[in-house]
Amino acid sequence: MPKIDVTIISGRTAEQGAGLEEGKTSERYAQSTSLIELSPADAEALGIDEGGTVKVTTPHGVVVVHSKRSEGLEEGLAFFPYGPWANQVFGASTYGTGMPLYKGVEAEIEPSGEDVPSLEDIVDGFRSGS
Amino acid sequence: MVEHSDVVCPFCGCLCDDLELTVEGGEITGVKNACAISRSKFMNHGENRLRLAIDGKEASLEGAIEEAAGILGDAKRPLVYGLSSTDCGAIGRAVELAEVLGGVVDNTSSVCHGPTILALQQVGESKTTLGEVKNRADLVVFWGSNPTESHLRHLIRYSAMPKGMYVPEGRKGRHIVAVDVRETRMKRVADEFVKVDQGGDFELLLALRAAVRGVKIKAESVSGVPRERIMELARRMKGAKMGIVFFGLGLTQSEGRHMNIDAAVGLVSELNHHTKFLLTPMRGHYNVAGANSVTTWQTGYPYAVDFARGYPRYNPGEYTSVDLLAKGEADAAIIIASDPAATFPAEAVRHLAKIPVVTLDQKVTPTTMLSRVTIPVATAGVEAEGTAYRMDGVALRMSKVVEPEEGMLSDEAVLEAIIERVRALKGEVG
Repeated sequence: MPKIDVTIISGRTAEQGAGLEEGKTSERYAQSTSLIELSPADAEALGIDEGGTVKVTTPHGVVVVHSKRSEGLEEGLAFFPYGPWANQVFGASTYGTGMPLYKGVEAEIEPSGEDVPSLEDIVDGFRSGS
Repeated sequence: MVEHSDVVCPFCGCLCDDLELTVEGGEITGVKNACAISRSKFMNHGENRLRLAIDGKEASLEGAIEEAAGILGDAKRPLVYGLSSTDCGAIGRAVELAEVLGGVVDNTSSVCHGPTILALQQVGESKTTLGEVKNRADLVVFWGSNPTESHLRHLIRYSAMPKGMYVPEGRKGRHIVAVDVRETRMKRVADEFVKVDQGGDFELLLALRAAVRGVKIKAESVSGVPRERIMELARRMKGAKMGIVFFGLGLTQSEGRHMNIDAAVGLVSELNHHTKFLLTPMRGHYNVAGANSVTTWQTGYPYAVDFARGYPRYNPGEYTSVDLLAKGEADAAIIIASDPAATFPAEAVRHLAKIPVVTLDQKVTPTTMLSRVTIPVATAGVEAEGTAYRMDGVALRMSKVVEPEEGMLSDEAVLEAIIERVRALKGEVG
């Protein structure tokens, strides 16, 4: 299985913003936040089709999400829209500032045959402490 | 049918105040002048609404308030958090609740522009209003900020398109620069796009400052930007009649955090030896600036305020919510108009899932799913009026355009009721 190393930055997208105003439980919110944008070169290296699922691993956690190609990203940089899926792989250390590192997180990405977790799955994970 | 004009939009820090709404039979049926997110907010405000519940079971409002007061009153280290998507009246009550509880009050700026505040407290800021930008700015820099996704009408109303008193040509009279680590839609919108290496903003800001000062840069490139490009941008900045840097979370959430803002202020300060230059943070939630203002005028501090000793103390990194949760310090929480379970790293959320949580919100969210008590409230700026502060600190009055569900109160009214019950439980006279 091919694997790549990337630096993740997270951020708002208009679709995520509109989705959250429909409701965090809406399909629009889940669709706009359970994905990671990859550079065309990185998507190519992983051999995945548009929308194909990938596993994102950092020292802080693991999450399976859909992938999306983004021409604006250079190789090695990945963009994760804000949301509970992205927050599975970010650490809580703030280095005395109150602010976790939401941009500039080193991660490993590989293709995955697993299902993308639903919002309920993620909330259940919080409850069980996993 | 009722038409409302000059309605203020309660979504982002732009607080656009020119919306037109049509209300028929108590429902919003039309929205004009709104961006896609604002339209979604007004048209879908009734969808996925939260229900009154204790432990997932239907409850009365009185019962929920009693339970909330009990949870918070019994806690040793209660956290009051959220507040950026509600009105200033509710924020004032939240600060009061934290004081009565001897707890911590924090708002969402701790995970957005908190580092901006840390830097500005050290080095100051040169501020302006968006009206001044519209009327005077001929050079507009967006640094680590993408208004095409997060502040959709900023360019149209304030910073790029409008014809101003001293910028009569509008868009043609302004030079727009976008600095980012990735090519966003701003690459097409801006006259100039500068791609900076991820994590390299601090060095580039310092190099630009040096170039403005006239120092020769020896390196061929800084953070991926060629020396000639830096010199040219410095020349252009010095030559502006009035320039402004709008900066976003690209600076505050990256390595360096507040030091990136310190460097941006340094650049702007240097530029003021040559021309008029200003900077403004692109505040995200519509009243996060109000959360900082109200908390400051009541406690002296803008966020991360601890009342454990009976008087306010301020220490970001210690009294900020992510830290309090990740360290397992908070033993109860009340969340108002925010969804930390979706916005905090999982490590912090797992502690939130272990402690009793009371949440005031309009909609079902991951946080309400984890909460012991959920209290639905009227949507500020749609079903309840109130004051909010725009990203530049201008206060605007939000309207009530439709009635909330019968018996549903505002954030402020629910907080008032909880404070009263907590005082009674503690044997204090309200």
